Amino acid sequence: MQAPPAQKQWSVANQMSPQLIEVKSLSKDYSRLKVLQSVSFSLKENETLGLFGISGSGKTTIGRSLMLLEKPDSGEILFRGKDLLKMNKKEISLVRPKLQMIFQHPETSLNPKMKVQDSIAEPLIIHKNLSREEIHSEMKRLMRLVGLRPEHLERYPHQLSGGEIQRAILARIISLEPKFIVADEPTSMLDASVQAQILRLMMKLQNDTEVTYLFISHDLDVLRAVCDRIAYIEAGSIKSIEMNEEKRSWAEQVRDSE
Amino acid sequence: MALLEVSHLDVGFNTQLGSVQAVNDVSFQIKKGETLGLIGESGSGKSVIGMSLLRLLPMNACVKGEAFFEGKDLLTMKEKDLQKIRGERISFIPQNPTASLNPLLKNGLQVSEVFERKGHSKENSWKSALKVMERLMIRDPGLSAKKYPHQLSGGMRQRLVAGIALSLQPELVIADEPTKGLDSLTRGKTIEFFKHLEGDEDRAMLLITHDLDLAYEICDRLAVLYAGEIVEMGPAGELMDLPSHPYTRGLIKSLPKNGLIPLEGRSPSLLELPGGCYFGERCCHHKKECSCKHPQLKNSGAWQTRCHLN
Amino acid sequence: MVKIMKSANYFGWHPGPFPQINWAPYHKILTNRTVTVCLMILGVMVMLSFLAPLITPYDPNAIDLKSSLQSPSVDHPLGTDHLGRDVLSRLLYGAKTSFLISLSVVVFALSLGIILGGAAGYFGGLADEILSRVIDIFLSFPGIIFALALIGALGSSVLNLIIALGLVHWASYARLMRGQVLSVKNNDYVSSARVIGASDRRILIKHILPNALAPVIVLATLDMGHVILSAAALSFLGLGIPPSVPEWGSMLNAGKEFMRTAPYLTIFPGLALTITVVLFSLLGDGFREILDPESEVMGLGAA
Repeated sequence: MQAPPAQKQWSVANQMSPQLIEVKSLSKDYSRLKVLQSVSFSLKENETLGLFGISGSGKTTIGRSLMLLEKPDSGEILFRGKDLLKMNKKEISLVRPKLQMIFQHPETSLNPKMKVQDSIAEPLIIHKNLSREEIHSEMKRLMRLVGLRPEHLERYPHQLSGGEIQRAILARIISLEPKFIVADEPTSMLDASVQAQILRLMMKLQNDTEVTYLFISHDLDVLRAVCDRIAYIEAGSIKSIEMNEEKRSWAEQVRDSE
Repeated sequence: MALLEVSHLDVGFNTQLGSVQAVNDVSFQIKKGETLGLIGESGSGKSVIGMSLLRLLPMNACVKGEAFFEGKDLLTMKEKDLQKIRGERISFIPQNPTASLNPLLKNGLQVSEVFERKGHSKENSWKSALKVMERLMIRDPGLSAKKYPHQLSGGMRQRLVAGIALSLQPELVIADEPTKGLDSLTRGKTIEFFKHLEGDEDRAMLLITHDLDLAYEICDRLAVLYAGEIVEMGPAGELMDLPSHPYTRGLIKSLPKNGLIPLEGRSPSLLELPGGCYFGERCCHHKKECSCKHPQLKNSGAWQTRCHLN
Repeated sequence: MVKIMKSANYFGWHPGPFPQINWAPYHKILTNRTVTVCLMILGVMVMLSFLAPLITPYDPNAIDLKSSLQSPSVDHPLGTDHLGRDVLSRLLYGAKTSFLISLSVVVFALSLGIILGGAAGYFGGLADEILSRVIDIFLSFPGIIFALALIGALGSSVLNLIIALGLVHWASYARLMRGQVLSVKNNDYVSSARVIGASDRRILIKHILPNALAPVIVLATLDMGHVILSAAALSFLGLGIPPSVPEWGSMLNAGKEFMRTAPYLTIFPGLALTITVVLFSLLGDGFREILDPESEVMGLGAA
């Protein structure tokens, strides 16, 4: 990795390796307010792109559009070259599991009336035809992976701390083996020490599964710690995308913390 | 003499699950013009301390200990006497500025109301309100005063709430989590604003926060809370640069810019605190002594630490 | 369908494809004194009404003109009416009629309201536009007059009474349900369910309904009393319930002519009606208190 200007390097990279996600001139208006103005960027496999902006800059709308939770007015979202916005219902249901999201507010991220185990089992029940025992052992594996203990399974979300809920969310979506995860301020509501735990966990999962992250945050320190590139968004349009030189490799970080 | 002297403060809550000890034997002093920061993570009891000093806690709270403000105990004085102190001599800047403003009143009125209640005329009150707003770096006070709260930015709203709290020039201000949930831009402005407040020589401040940067920038002294008790207290700069308690060290190292090294585990449940050191299980210097004997706060000069290792 | 069944029974404790309700918070019901007392009194009343044949020796419709308009006595604790029928037995049998009618009306109105209101809130767009206008139209009629008109058009029978009162009440449930669904729908856990690929049906049944129902059920409880009152009012006017069936409203109607000579004919049914309505109101208030998240004991972080 070398030679800024970053913009240029990004476009070079663009030609070299096939992109996992390509967003092309995404636009959206709410009545007269322009929320997104021709937003374009792309992500390679196993990369983390940070999206930095203040509240109201449109960064959450980008994340939700990529997850098909909001419909942009115009533009394209290519996943491995195919436009998500032009897919029919059946095609969408096939790519759905590969695109996942982590939300900002742990207190509303899990259904308050469902036990943690039901929330974690839900994607398995929807997408995989597993027997009861298989679901149980898969859940055990997931719990170990994200660092939750078996007693958490029996609890309701209000009995968990914010960090534990984010772990449960990760367990829930990792079971679908996603290729791409939008993390919308996943740690902004957490304490510093818990934030470090969750960010570490996300990086470890990326190291293990080669998932790609779009990491949305208003905290530059966090983005500098975890992202390969950082995009700066202001009033609905991307001002610049820069390489993040401060990020150290996962191996280096593990060595440091030991 | 200290302006506020809190000694052996205990706060418990009676809940359906049993008694929760939220604050445990907390003692500290604030001198005139000094800013003390209470830092800690959620569940450490920092906000409960602030609320208990002004007796703002819900009915199921059980508060023990003493809190002398200029020689009078805030915790035992009559409600009527406390009302005279609340707002006038000690004021409270609450966590959520949007929820603390009346959305139907113009900004200026919300401030001038305070003076009107003190018996000033309407006109004088309005003038005083404008003066307060100007002092608090609110841009174009005349115009802002005629707007409604929702027309101000988050940072401006917070200044307005601070303005209401500071309008009667209290000797002590308790600020509860001024930067919680703010985006980086607003947070930066808030830090700048509190620096400006701190510059006022006469006013003491108790700043309750989880934001180490804010605490570092503004406070003279810091007290670090863990599971309801003070684990370390000392001068702000030294404490942040050379923390001696393993928890403080871990907390500082877990910040993204300091290497993002997580503290493993979680804070103990306040329903069943472990025997020995509360931080013992998460501590990397764990010794045998730590799990059987609860460490006492040890003094060394201006510094206090609750750890067997020092 | 198969998938949902499987998931619902997966851990063995869900009753089936219906929205599962988390009963854990309902232990609060038993710790709330108002609710416990109301439930106990109402329970006793329901029991008495169903055990009426065992309690009173008289047939509520047995006409005995020789002993008409008797004051309360040992034989007839609450006296007899102008046809010599025992007031106590009519009151007890009447309670059964009132409770059953009120329950049917509320269940009918609640189902209609939850389905239509839920659909309007969830699907939005044109469906919401149309359903909302329909709800507005139903809400704009004064209730009892609307019911009168409906019974006038449909003919006077118990079934028509239930339909008429159900149609009067469903719209308020629908409106509340729509608002509830609109607010629950925006929660992250609903977005999260959509992202993991849950079907509309699953999202509605497992994620939205269980979290939206509480206030609607409170409203329904509050309405139980109103419905008993409306049914009584309609049968007071001689509509809906045939005169032979004992019912509090028709008892009042029959008693009004003898108000001066035999006031107990109106006092006792009136009292029974008032007590029941008040009990249901208190019960509804109690439920509201229990389900209000603000009333929960202050949470303490990691605790």
